Amino acid sequence: MNFHKLNITAGISIRCLKYSTNVTKPELPASFVNDNVEYEISRDKSGLRRQHKNILHETNPYSEAHSWIHLTEKYQRGVYGKYGAKSNISPQICFGTKSEIAAAKKFQTITQPKTIQQMIETARAAKAAKLAAIAEREDGIAKKLEKLEQWKADLNAKVAKREADAAAAIARKERLIEEVRRHFGFKVDTRDERFKEMLEQKEKEDKRKQKEAKRKVKEEKMMAKLVKQTS
Amino acid sequence: MAHLRESSDKALKLLRTLPRVQIGNLRPNPNSKQNDKRGRAQHGGDKHGAGNKGSGQRQNFMRLGYETGNQAFYMRFPYEPYYKGHHMKREYPPISLLQLQVLVDTNRIDVSQPVDIATLCNSGLLSLKPAELQYGFQLTDEGLDNFKAKINIEVQHASEAVIAAVERNGGVIRTAYYDPRSLQILANPKKWFEKGVPIPQRMLPPQDAVEYYTDAKNRGYLANPEEISKERLVLAQKYGYELPRIEDDADYEMLTAAKDARQLFLGLEPGWLVNLVDKTIVKLKKT
Repeated sequence: MNFHKLNITAGISIRCLKYSTNVTKPELPASFVNDNVEYEISRDKSGLRRQHKNILHETNPYSEAHSWIHLTEKYQRGVYGKYGAKSNISPQICFGTKSEIAAAKKFQTITQPKTIQQMIETARAAKAAKLAAIAEREDGIAKKLEKLEQWKADLNAKVAKREADAAAAIARKERLIEEVRRHFGFKVDTRDERFKEMLEQKEKEDKRKQKEAKRKVKEEKMMAKLVKQTS
Repeated sequence: MAHLRESSDKALKLLRTLPRVQIGNLRPNPNSKQNDKRGRAQHGGDKHGAGNKGSGQRQNFMRLGYETGNQAFYMRFPYEPYYKGHHMKREYPPISLLQLQVLVDTNRIDVSQPVDIATLCNSGLLSLKPAELQYGFQLTDEGLDNFKAKINIEVQHASEAVIAAVERNGGVIRTAYYDPRSLQILANPKKWFEKGVPIPQRMLPPQDAVEYYTDAKNRGYLANPEEISKERLVLAQKYGYELPRIEDDADYEMLTAAKDARQLFLGLEPGWLVNLVDKTIVKLKKT
């Protein structure tokens, strides 16, 4: 949870107690003032390192570089950021070289190649494509539904035809067998050779008849066509 | 006993003869105690609970989850994308209108200036963690009915009712996108200015966020301002309040102050080097 407990008091932040530095120091006589550096060092009983003392006094901790880190751009920018102009670092270092700036710009063109207008267009096109795909599918289904009744009729007709053909074949077979039987006069076994020969003959005759019938139907159709053309 | 019809009467009669109810008299809850079976003597010993012969006694059991050959439960699902893409999903930690009202009433945020992520984070009561995919704040509708502050606020997501609540009081609400680097800067501006880096540009939103931030209904920062004013009227009619005229407001300039799409801080442009110690701005010379 990002919301911290709310203290309903005035927002005074007591970050660091600063002793008042406004008291005017009285001028000491000459004998008391000592510019001896060693004296100053021995007077300092805080035990702090110089860099830590500098930090406490809000100045640049290292006036000279003690490590390669102090020579890096990142560190020096940070020093400028924390201590400002009195850190004696030129703000030029914060901006980077021309080549770095150019490289950053080029990088941006790769990471963000599209303008806002292009992105809007892409989004719109994607949305439209989605809707179009749905609409297309629905249209296809609607078209197929129109033909549904026709397909049903076709299927039923096909099934009926198949059944009719099968029935007709069985009926034909029975008829031929009956004819052969009548021809022989007595009940002959269907698997008898003579019976089979007769059956073959009869089948051939039947076929011939059917072919003739078909041919006749075709001829009639052709005649009808010609008549139509001429008339 | 024939005249004792109710079981409660029976129970009470029993109680009069039973000893006082004490911990030592009570039976434990069913199935709360398990008999520790040691592998010794009559009940724990001999076959040690493994039965006779077979794979049971020989401790040659089927592997856990095996269902004697049919597709086991743990094998039925070849793909379980529960956390797919979770590492890419943007989060928007919520602030309720109630919280916002409390902040305003207790002077924790300055409402005489536009409010954005930096303002909210600087109050010290809210924090944003861009590293955990938190892309900004969303304004939620808790405390919507009692929201009375007139503010210029910029959040990253707000629902229609919330927008109406803010605009009803004469305020202005916008939704804006900040890329992760910008978010880090805004979450702790002081810390960032101490780095001594010039203010960078704000990046454009990713493709899937463009639609949201270009829509006037969401008061997106990339939307057409004319459409936004039209939507303000639409919302006023929908929620049944009279739309206050911002033009007649004394704080007109503050309320209509908006950042550019590439701007991080109002009044500061990208490329400027701000120093908080010297209170200076260093700019590159225009070549």
